[in-house]
Amino acid sequence: MSLLSIRDLHATVGGNEILKGINLEIGPGEIHAVMGPNGSGKSTLSYVLAGREGYEVTRGTIAFKGKDLIDLAADERANEGVFLAFQYPVEVPGVVGMTFLREAYNAKLRYLGKQEIDAMEFLKFVRSRAKTLNMSDDMLKRAVNVGFSGGEKKRNEILQMAVLEPDLAILDETDSGLDIDALKLVSDGVNELRSENRSMLIITHYQRLLNYIQPDHVHVLAHGKIQRSGGKELALELEAKGYAEFSEEAA
Amino acid sequence: MALQPVAKLPFEGLIADARSHKLGKWHSKLSERALEQYAEIGWPGPKTESWKYTSLNKIASGTFSLAREYSAIVPEDMIMPLTCPRLVLVNGVLNKELSNLEQLIGNLSITSLVDIEDHQKTFFDDLFKSEESKGDLPLTYLNTAILSDAVMLEITEGSKCELPLHIISIGSGNGITFAPRLIVNVGIGAKVDFIESHVGCSDSVYFSNSVTQLYLGDNSEVGHYKLQNDSRDSSHISLTRAVIDDGASYDNFTMSVGAKLSRNEVRAHLKGSGVECCINGAYLGAADQHIDNTTFIEHQAEGSSSREVFKGVLDDTARGVFQGKILVHPEAQKTDGYQMNRAMLLSDKAEIDSKPELEIYADDVRCSHGATVGELEDELIFYLCARGIDRESARRMLIGAYISDAIDEVKNIDIRSSIQSVAENWLKQNLYEK
Ligand SMILES: Nc1ncnc2c1ncn2[C@@H]1O[C@H](COP(=O)(O)OP(=O)(O)OP(=O)(O)O)[C@@H](O)[C@H]1O
Ligand SMILES: [Mg+2]
Repeated sequence: MSLLSIRDLHATVGGNEILKGINLEIGPGEIHAVMGPNGSGKSTLSYVLAGREGYEVTRGTIAFKGKDLIDLAADERANEGVFLAFQYPVEVPGVVGMTFLREAYNAKLRYLGKQEIDAMEFLKFVRSRAKTLNMSDDMLKRAVNVGFSGGEKKRNEILQMAVLEPDLAILDETDSGLDIDALKLVSDGVNELRSENRSMLIITHYQRLLNYIQPDHVHVLAHGKIQRSGGKELALELEAKGYAEFSEEAA
Repeated sequence: MALQPVAKLPFEGLIADARSHKLGKWHSKLSERALEQYAEIGWPGPKTESWKYTSLNKIASGTFSLAREYSAIVPEDMIMPLTCPRLVLVNGVLNKELSNLEQLIGNLSITSLVDIEDHQKTFFDDLFKSEESKGDLPLTYLNTAILSDAVMLEITEGSKCELPLHIISIGSGNGITFAPRLIVNVGIGAKVDFIESHVGCSDSVYFSNSVTQLYLGDNSEVGHYKLQNDSRDSSHISLTRAVIDDGASYDNFTMSVGAKLSRNEVRAHLKGSGVECCINGAYLGAADQHIDNTTFIEHQAEGSSSREVFKGVLDDTARGVFQGKILVHPEAQKTDGYQMNRAMLLSDKAEIDSKPELEIYADDVRCSHGATVGELEDELIFYLCARGIDRESARRMLIGAYISDAIDEVKNIDIRSSIQSVAENWLKQNLYEK
């Protein structure tokens, strides 16, 4: 059974239809890459999956672990195991990183009917995760993302993912803005989280990331639809040829 | 032409009453003088510049009587949560049974006007006189004119008070007015922290017209923290006036959450040089609350610094007012002044009026001010929700963080966390999406 099953998904934003019939099946442990021209609806898809208000599903279904996702609020989806690493992580003034992580972690525990975690134990857990991503204690003491560099923000997203251990991670252009070393670091972090039960949907413009994180499937999203799917060689082909064949006229 | 009837001053009728009331002959003279001054300036109206955003019409047209009851049950869940010696005023009059001052050590003396003979009051007399020369403060004159008590705290030279003193002013009764009056006299090099909690007994509706005067001797250190949590249908108008001498430091913070109509006016006169003065505050308003913070900082001498940080959150049709004036005299070279005023509006109908004013007559100064008005961004809420935090908690966290930023200015750590818990409580009780 698929972990995520998207059927004929249509969605509008601000009255405009952006997603126009998406079909996508992601099995447990699979890594899917989504590529596509600017403005084609990739982030929209990620927001629709994460349950952002204002992104209205007008047709189709989204099943996650067999559950209908559309009726769940964003926080419920997160607690069910959907994680979105934002293309543009938001600065959260005044909310300390560590507190933020603990609140999120405990929210999930509560959702699952479990006991909240001991603060010291959690601190140790977060520190071990942060170390892998080369994030200092100091960054966890600061307000979430406030004054972080672009690359630091992206790393912070991956840290959150590593702490929250989702079943489905959607990474929206996590690679853009990262320097070469950071890209390696983040990829290692992501690879470390790969498991039989954890699936990923990786949105990217660059084939380079896919050298580090090897996808099982690559999809091209253009004009609100998946125009083509293939193996990782599709990414190489796109790198060489661009998106001309998916232009409005070609479609 | 028909003669217009002479408009009577609001509360004038109560003044004669007040004279025969609690303080005897000595007060009669004082009260007469205060009435004259009050009459000369008149009740602040829509044309009074310093009151243009806050209307006192409702108070002026209300029917009030003087409070005659001076005992009450302390509303423990309304006051600042602190365990320290307390001094309790009920309707402006010191209530010794409710106060517990045993723990206070000998370096702090407390005198209530009610307790002393007329001939001992000359010192108070001088204080009131000096107050009167300060001009345009009609409600302060009204306070003097209808006084039922005044409490003076004196901290002797060089003494360091380890425990803070909690002054609790309780309003109890319906349709009453009272005039709490505090005088704080801090000796040279002395150190003290005190708190004012202004609260009301449940369902009480009153007008509290409060005045606190402070004198900070050379190199003294004073923390002065105030919680305004008066009954929701009441009015709270207060003036704090601090005169600060060489090298002293004054840390003032006001948390306003109560009353329907409130004004927290703080006037700091930096008479000495090398003074460090902070006038900060936070406010949380919902329903039809009106919360005014008005500050005036006067740099009279060289090399003093002042800092002002105010932050507020307004929901529903609540309205906030911030007026902040900094006056730098020609002698006050090397003044360092900072003022920041931020508000977050949670509803389309909430409103903030903001008026910063810098008047600088010295050339070698550093003064800056700024103001922002914002709302809680959906993107931010979504970010927290996408991490599993429910919408209501997300809002509470974000708004809490916003307001904490101002509360963090409070220098006394215990009091800071008390104020923090007042804010958190407010958020729990008032913050739900409509
Ligand atoms: N609130 C909105 N109102 C109207 N149109 C919107 C709104 N938000 C996004 N869009 C439009 O939806 C389309 C898809 O945007 P989306 O962000 O999903 O693209 P993307 O594929 O992620 O692009 P990129 O590669 O640049 O990140 C764009 O044309 C965008 O202008
Ligand atoms: Mg995008």
